[in-house]
Amino acid sequence: MKPIILLAALAACLPLAGPAAAADEPRRPECIAPAAPGGGFDLTCKLAQSALVQSKLLKAPMRVTYMPGGVGAVAYNAVVAQRPSEAGTITAFSSGSLLNLAQGKFGRFDESAVKWLAGIGTSYGAIAVRADSPYQNLDDLVAAIKADPGKVVIGSGGTVGSQDWMQTALIARAAGIDPRTLRYVAMEGGGELATALLGGHIQVASSDIADSVPHIESGDMRILAVFSEERLPGETVASIPTAKEQGYDVIWPVIRGFYVGPKVSDDAYAWWKNAFDQLLASDDFAKLREQRELYPFAMTGDELDAYVKQQVTRYKQLAQEFGLIQ
Amino acid sequence: MYQRLFGLVLLLACAGLGIVAWGYHAPFSYEPVGPRAYPLLLLVLMGLGAIYLLAKPASATAHADEPPMDRHVLRKVIGCVVILMVYAALFERLGFIAASILFGVAMARLYGGTWLASAASGLMLAVGLYLLFDKALDVPLPLGILSALEN
Amino acid sequence: METLSYLGQGFGVALSPYNLFTALCGTLIGTVVGLLPGLGPINGVALLIPIAFALGLPPESALILLAAVYLGCEYGGRISSILLNIPGEASAVMTTLDGYPLARQGKGGIALSISAWSSFVGGLMATCGVVIFAPLLAKWAVAFGPAEYFVLMVFAIVCLAGMAGNKPMKTAIAACIGLFLSCVGIDSNSGVYRFTFGSLGLADGIQFVVLVLGLFSVSEILVLLERTHHGQKAIEAKGRMLFSLKEGASVLATNLRSGAVGFVLGILPGAGATLASAVAYMSEKRLAHKDNKFGDGDLRGLAAPETANSASACGSMVPMLTLGVPGSGTTAVMLGALTLYNITPGPLLFQNQPEIVWGLIASLFVANLMLILMNVPMIKIFTKILAVPYWALVPAIAIITSIGVYAVHATTFDLFLMIAIGIVGYILRKMDFPLSAILLGFILGGLMEQNLRRALSISNGELGILFASPITWGVWTLIAAMIALPIWRAWRARRQRLAQPVSV
Repeated sequence: MKPIILLAALAACLPLAGPAAAADEPRRPECIAPAAPGGGFDLTCKLAQSALVQSKLLKAPMRVTYMPGGVGAVAYNAVVAQRPSEAGTITAFSSGSLLNLAQGKFGRFDESAVKWLAGIGTSYGAIAVRADSPYQNLDDLVAAIKADPGKVVIGSGGTVGSQDWMQTALIARAAGIDPRTLRYVAMEGGGELATALLGGHIQVASSDIADSVPHIESGDMRILAVFSEERLPGETVASIPTAKEQGYDVIWPVIRGFYVGPKVSDDAYAWWKNAFDQLLASDDFAKLREQRELYPFAMTGDELDAYVKQQVTRYKQLAQEFGLIQ
Repeated sequence: MYQRLFGLVLLLACAGLGIVAWGYHAPFSYEPVGPRAYPLLLLVLMGLGAIYLLAKPASATAHADEPPMDRHVLRKVIGCVVILMVYAALFERLGFIAASILFGVAMARLYGGTWLASAASGLMLAVGLYLLFDKALDVPLPLGILSALEN
Repeated sequence: METLSYLGQGFGVALSPYNLFTALCGTLIGTVVGLLPGLGPINGVALLIPIAFALGLPPESALILLAAVYLGCEYGGRISSILLNIPGEASAVMTTLDGYPLARQGKGGIALSISAWSSFVGGLMATCGVVIFAPLLAKWAVAFGPAEYFVLMVFAIVCLAGMAGNKPMKTAIAACIGLFLSCVGIDSNSGVYRFTFGSLGLADGIQFVVLVLGLFSVSEILVLLERTHHGQKAIEAKGRMLFSLKEGASVLATNLRSGAVGFVLGILPGAGATLASAVAYMSEKRLAHKDNKFGDGDLRGLAAPETANSASACGSMVPMLTLGVPGSGTTAVMLGALTLYNITPGPLLFQNQPEIVWGLIASLFVANLMLILMNVPMIKIFTKILAVPYWALVPAIAIITSIGVYAVHATTFDLFLMIAIGIVGYILRKMDFPLSAILLGFILGGLMEQNLRRALSISNGELGILFASPITWGVWTLIAAMIALPIWRAWRARRQRLAQPVSV
């Protein structure tokens, strides 16, 4: 393991010596964050921006352009239709974008319209309650919902069909509850959700683990379950049980990554892929990623492409099962 | 007269949008109100307002400092709107600098600048604002036809 | 006591020459960025974060820089509102109501100085409020759930009625148009796309910048074209640039009341500054005596929104620091900046890193002071904008406006949307509809609908939730007072007339 990291670090430090230098660094490198400043997409772009400069893979920092609209729909269409061959432009996406893509909310283009480049980190869905909540684990919660679905108000940061809703619906289904009988409130974003939970306006929050970490640390919130395969690394989060170990087989990763336009040349694509391969293997990047509360996820090129397509198929299937699309 | 015309247009718009809004329903909903009640309520309110305007148009109390419209002004206003439209259409195609030079010169002429002054201000604005926004303020602007010149 | 010693330390840091210089640069850059229509504190702060990081500024200097830029932008936005009638952002809308008429009367300098002074008072009050009440305030911020927000929005709409003046029907229609426009785009409760007509450019609704620049900037450009045609020139600021002591005294009570309103509302995440400035303006208008000139250049009508806005800008730091919840777009970006410095805002920040919190609060004080010290001497320069001939000024406004709109989505769709809105805005303006009512309706509308529906989904359709908490009772009482006050005034006036039947 160690020599590989060393080698990667060395390669990262000496970009001129590596084969990466063979292909030209793209001109006017730019990262499109398909949201307003300050959100998760901004964070993804900033992560790549600082990591690429720190590792000297790019001489000048990438510029970050904001193109909000429909969890990435606007940016997706702009890249495919208007800027398909800009080699310097990478666009951030998340599982949320894929979910909307699967539900046909991205307009006329499907998941094969772009070249998927790299997945650089992931977060996981989680179910949070206030520290003084009577529910200690998922079973308590499920029992309470079964007894009287109207009593438990579940809030989330997204609308029906969003990731937050999907994970709630999946848990409900795994427990044998019809998702339609839940009491569900859609808030706008993680911040609003956290305030509503802390203020006692809702009893349960279905959101992203990263949103809750500061509140767990302060002891105001408790996480009933995180939707990861295994327990997460890290001081605060290691003690949080997964849904799987509590007998509910729900895994809900929220990956973050980038794609490039469909007509970007193979050389340029290879340059980016190579750059991200080097980044993802380096320790410095891991530190930067942790700072932004993201967990390891590294996939580039064809591997990512296959993963994305498989995810989209899965999302489509889920959306159909829940009656969101016909 | 104008008030009545506006009332009529507003009423028709409300009716049209109302028909569109009627079709909004969530495939899956947890709340009793639903996505169409609120817009419909507002459209009804606006429609009532439009009917009021139709029935009892208030006398247009134009501000004293704004002189009345005439044909020449109207022609200029339409010209200005057309220039704005063309600018928007060329913004990405020609790139910011080229489009802004054309636009700046045309607008300056429209607002009574001499040819020389208009050309100078158009050129200076386009280049100056490009440098200010794209380089100093980090607001990316399209380069368009000039992208070949960079580097 | 502990608080004070931390604050003292904070000042010790903030007042070092290096940091004072940083604050100076910050306010200067902020003012310039805020002055450009379409660019606001979000851009200013977002722009400087990477620079501050790249320059290797220590965290406290970076915070000072950010606070200074934030407040500077807020102030810069006032300049274009007052002098050009183009509010750069939501909270500056109310400023145009009396600020622009003042500028048209040649009192641009006085208006700018009153605005600077009011911002200073508001900022100062709010910062003191943060110092005294900080730990309690987190509770106040989370106490507002969907039901409370909805009732608050009803209150704001009732306040809006006070704007009606002599054209109630037109104000009502304008407000409805605004409320309706807020429905465009994805419905955050059900996920249904409304009134987008298949266009992805509208998927997230109409962006505020597009609406405000369309309504105000484009329509202003067309109005200026008319003026050019008729050979009118801009009215330059004449005479003194500073307000007199008498003028200052006349707005002092307004300042104090609006500062309190701004602080209390600014703490609430989401609604903050716009709501605060609107409510402050309307309540001052209600309180003012019959002979007020609100809407035609009343100094109180300028002071009220300015104080409230600045107070709420400082107040919005509270949810950010204590809850880690951004209260506005700007604080969302600042939150990102803090994370870069490994500072995690949230409930533990006051315990774990008090020096950061109090350093930031101290830098708010310093930035406020710097802003007034720097801007008052520069008012004369700002008013020179009015001396620029239209053939140079208008293309500049038009291009900067287009950049501001383009920057939102980086697509030209918004440019066309802005022009379309501008044409409608121009027609409405010609027909004497109040454009500001459209904007306020737009801002309040979305919050009102979504929170009502959230509240009702929490209560499963029972309206009782709207009357369930002490906060809702309090706000309902205020609503009743707002409605009753003019009626009572009218009744009293009639009684007085009846008591003195013989006119003098």
